[in-house]
Amino acid sequence: MSLAAVTGLELRRLFVRPLGWVLGALTLAWLGWNFTLLLGSFLAGQIRLAALPDGPGFTDLVAVPLLGQLGQLAFLVVPLLSMGTLAGERRGDTLPLLFATGLGAGRIVLGKYLALLVWLGLWLALTLAMLLCLAPFATLDWGKLAAASLGLALMLATLAALGIACSALASHPAIAAAAALVLTLALWGINFGAQMAGINDGAINYLAMSTHLQPLLRGLVDSTDLAWFVLLSILLLALAIRRLAAERERG
Amino acid sequence: MSEAAAVLHLDHLSRRRAGRAAVQELSLTLRRGQVLGLLGINGAGKSTTLAMAAGALVPDQGRIYLNGEDFLEHPQLAARQLGWLPERAPLWPELSVAEHLVAHGRLRGLRGDALRQACAAVIARLELGALRRRLAGVLSQGQRQRLGLACALLHRPPLLILDEPANALDPLQLQALRGVIREEAAAGTAVLLSTHLLNEVTAVCDRVAILHDGRLRHDGPVDPADEAALQQRFFAIALATQAQAA
Repeated sequence: MSLAAVTGLELRRLFVRPLGWVLGALTLAWLGWNFTLLLGSFLAGQIRLAALPDGPGFTDLVAVPLLGQLGQLAFLVVPLLSMGTLAGERRGDTLPLLFATGLGAGRIVLGKYLALLVWLGLWLALTLAMLLCLAPFATLDWGKLAAASLGLALMLATLAALGIACSALASHPAIAAAAALVLTLALWGINFGAQMAGINDGAINYLAMSTHLQPLLRGLVDSTDLAWFVLLSILLLALAIRRLAAERERG
Repeated sequence: MSEAAAVLHLDHLSRRRAGRAAVQELSLTLRRGQVLGLLGINGAGKSTTLAMAAGALVPDQGRIYLNGEDFLEHPQLAARQLGWLPERAPLWPELSVAEHLVAHGRLRGLRGDALRQACAAVIARLELGALRRRLAGVLSQGQRQRLGLACALLHRPPLLILDEPANALDPLQLQALRGVIREEAAAGTAVLLSTHLLNEVTAVCDRVAILHDGRLRHDGPVDPADEAALQQRFFAIALATQAQAA
């Protein structure tokens, strides 16, 4: 129950601060505008595309690119949302208050993580709603859309775990946001050098987030990719929990 | 009464902070209905002791017992058995007074009607009604202290830990605070409060523990009519310790 109390408290704080609303409104407006552009481009080329056997459809040309843009925006949005989760509590001296309610580090971290997931889930759902409102009028590839949504959801969950880990380690929310942003970019493109050198497999490619998200955006669900996101999220949350528990011991 | 039956028993607590021994071999026992004042100059180790007693800090050595149960083994005991008002009453600035009370109540396991009744009772008791919709970030220091105290009292814990509760209070608020502490003690709550004000100790405490350099130098009853004796003892301890250090 105390886990739900931490989640409720964090959600309340997310929804009463302007940051969450501003980020949500601006990014959804940007996505809405791009959705209109993608849709216009699709409609303009629809007759030409219809002539192609197995040509790309609404899902390939509108839905997946829109979700890809959401993923790019997440690079900035998630670090900004997550920066205050623990570093903000530390800075406001409210972290000891949470410890003094008998909560363990695990419940504090998981409670805050769940609250972030709720916000990010709503963000993803509102983006999907733009696509789904056209479902009666377009031929959607539901399998591909589901795979891409799953990929995005896993990516958001992993970035949230990374943001919380950075917030657990940093003394100031701004440092946590900067660290999370840099690490996200590094995680995304760690294999760019290897790819430029023509190396398309190996450990360096396995480490990169892009390697595991791209197949999902193409509709290919591989358990290795799913496991990569889940294991990395668990690792990052464990790091945050360990750091917080050590803080209670060290003072 | 045995130590096991005490509300709070600190058993040889030691803790280092910032490279120095903040608390050394401290043992204290607090029973039901007692008000124990922890007296000491700045840096004496009062806040560190209270943070350990509240479960916010883990001691390097020693044990803490809450109602006979090992608090370090069962930190979840804090949820229902103690209320803590830290120094300067940290709050979430973006939440209102009412939202703070609800959040603290939920963190302490209160739900539904029990939570609503507890919030209403503490709002009435600490006269927070006019402030209930006000954001914590715009409260004065005295109002923050009242809200912090309300959060600590909300779930009617058997142990109340107050760190410098008289800070920034005006004379009327101070009088009200003393009234609350006396009422709590009369209802059986054990109160552990830290202060560096001698008159605060004689006004509300029935026992005083004097800390200096992290060590317990005196533990005994308070004579409310004889503040001068307490003052004499306090300065004697402080000066003797400084002379030893020199």
